[in-house]
Amino acid sequence: VDTALPTPADMAAPDTAGIRVLVADDEDDIRNLVSLAVRKAGCHIVGSVADGTAALDLARTELPDLAVLDVSMPGATGLEVCAALRADPATARIGILLLSAGASLEDVAAGLAAGADAYLAKPFQVSGLVHQVRALTARQPA
Amino acid sequence: MTTLDVGAAVLGRSASRAWLGRRLAVLAPARATVLRRSLPSTAMFAVTAVLLGARALPVADGELVLAGLATAFLGTLVARVVARPTAVGDPALAVPLIHLGAVALLSAGTGSVAVLFLVLGPVLALAATPGRRGVLVAAVGTGAVLLVPTLLASSPVSPDTLTGALLLGPLTVGLGGLAVNERARRLGGQAAEIGRLEAERALLLTQVQTRADELDLATRMLAARAQTMTSVIDAVTEQSIIGTDRDGVIRVWNPGAEKMLGLPRPEVVRKRSILEFHLPEELEAAAEESGSATGLAALVHAAQEHGSDVRDWTYVAADGQPRTVSVAITPRSDDQGTHAGWNFVGTDMTEARATERMKDQFVSLISHELRTPLTSILGYLELVLDDEDQPLADEQRTYLTTVERNADRLLRLVGDLLFTAQVDAGRFTLEPEDVDLTTVVRAAEETVRVTAGAAGVEVVVDVPENALVVPGDAVRLGQACDNLVSNAVKFTPAGGRVTLSLHAAWQTPDGEMTTEGRPDAAPVARLSVSDTGIGIPTGEQGKLFTRFFRASTAQRNAVPGVGLGLAITKAITTAHGGTLDLVSAEGAGTTFTLTLPRPAA
Repeated sequence: VDTALPTPADMAAPDTAGIRVLVADDEDDIRNLVSLAVRKAGCHIVGSVADGTAALDLARTELPDLAVLDVSMPGATGLEVCAALRADPATARIGILLLSAGASLEDVAAGLAAGADAYLAKPFQVSGLVHQVRALTARQPA
Repeated sequence: MTTLDVGAAVLGRSASRAWLGRRLAVLAPARATVLRRSLPSTAMFAVTAVLLGARALPVADGELVLAGLATAFLGTLVARVVARPTAVGDPALAVPLIHLGAVALLSAGTGSVAVLFLVLGPVLALAATPGRRGVLVAAVGTGAVLLVPTLLASSPVSPDTLTGALLLGPLTVGLGGLAVNERARRLGGQAAEIGRLEAERALLLTQVQTRADELDLATRMLAARAQTMTSVIDAVTEQSIIGTDRDGVIRVWNPGAEKMLGLPRPEVVRKRSILEFHLPEELEAAAEESGSATGLAALVHAAQEHGSDVRDWTYVAADGQPRTVSVAITPRSDDQGTHAGWNFVGTDMTEARATERMKDQFVSLISHELRTPLTSILGYLELVLDDEDQPLADEQRTYLTTVERNADRLLRLVGDLLFTAQVDAGRFTLEPEDVDLTTVVRAAEETVRVTAGAAGVEVVVDVPENALVVPGDAVRLGQACDNLVSNAVKFTPAGGRVTLSLHAAWQTPDGEMTTEGRPDAAPVARLSVSDTGIGIPTGEQGKLFTRFFRASTAQRNAVPGVGLGLAITKAITTAHGGTLDLVSAEGAGTTFTLTLPRPAA
């Protein structure tokens, strides 16, 4: 869906080409929305799943650069997936962005305590999500 | 016998004797004495009369004898009839004198020396009268009695008669009389003392009886009061009332406690400690929190510090079931004011707390379920509105912007509902920081600017140039200010004006506001939002901060809203230790004033 020609915004944005992202949300519509935003950020979707267990399995096999996880999912919650990824050295370096419909401070604190790099409350602005994905996946210049 | 002994002896006598004595004394004291004193003489005259009749005594002159007996009778009659001293004379002296006259006549009439012994009766009666006067009268009278027979016989007075009548007789009678008089005086004194003691004893008896009656009444009142208290405590079946001594041993255990904890009173009172019904973990946590010792000290620590303490504790019933109980703990004193133990009044909140938890879960579930579709709606709308490849026609953009605005409104409503639920559940927490209220007010004006412009309402901002800082939660204070400002705009017709003003002020202890700092006044920040809108009827102003309440003016004018904004604003204000006041006149406008405490300079 990206434009063929890079827009001025894209040119100013960090280089995200080839960045691999995993998306997990049990709501199909929201999963698609998140996927759209991730592609808008110039990243590649390596997996799009609807439950926590599948998200964990895929993360272990695909080893993406970033996992965008919904907090409330069947199987394992986003917080549990987050903690499991951080506990395993093989997956510990995966960037994690949590999305949640709970917007209280306790929710944010719980998300960050579980090891997430960033936290976005639903409903989020698509532009905000794009920005957040870019920031989390920006390759440091060698 | 000492006075005390007499008193003791008198007090020891039966009450009936005392009663009789008092009655006699009251009836005729003087007459009784005169009559009693005349009795020996009367008896002797009677014996003399009998002896005369039996011819055992000689009769020299019958007329004189008769006159003597008549006189004797007259004396007794006077004693019988006259009691008090009269104009004629004192009967105490008159009666014996009459009797002496009778003796003189009888002596002359019989010529017998034996009859002279009759003189003893009146003489003793005279000697016994109070004072020495009676003794003198007796002595003189005796002399006269001795002289009369000789004088009546018209025979020459012999020297021995003169010696007897003028010297020996009166002298003997006088000396003897003095002794009798002294004895009578002493007896009289003792009798008076006895009388006084009797009266004193009667008074004491009355006092003792009165005191006993009072004590009896007090005892019965105390018993009645205790009975009332017991019956009141026993009537409480839905609350546990437990009283312990200072060591926590249970002394009071009402039916409510029996029902709540499943143990009858006899199995608990004086046998168990209150601690046996508490969870040890909770007591340990309380001990850690308060830094006090464990056990009872931890349980009553807050009550000891503050005089009373109400909080939830877990009681463990006899069947092992935990109960969540809201317990009010207070210290108890005895009648001397000494600390005697503790009272624990508990209400079983197990079901209520479970319901609260369910309500909490329900609200967060609903809020989650509402946010999820809103996330999709708003997200896809954003994609469509911001798609640079496929720009929308103006009409489409207007329609979709309307959709977006309403979705935003729905989202705010969900947020407000969740927030009020959090306030209800007491889970509303503030993130305190230094908040510059001038920024908050300017931001609120900015937020409402477009809407106000569209509605034709002028918004005026009057804030100080320098920052006005209060401790608080920037997001929540912004929400409160936004609510007030958007309300003001919403309720003001086109052409009206909304004024936002912010000032530093000082609040005196009696609630008055001053613009000058005073040592006794607390520094506050006052944020006022005034409008020239439709106003709020006076009768409805008290209900304005109630959730879902909408003023009749709001409904009549079809102003949109659900009635959560002011309830939320009020909750935020209260959580900041501030107050929210309003002044409003229907048709003229409304001013809301938010007063927040600010740190002393």
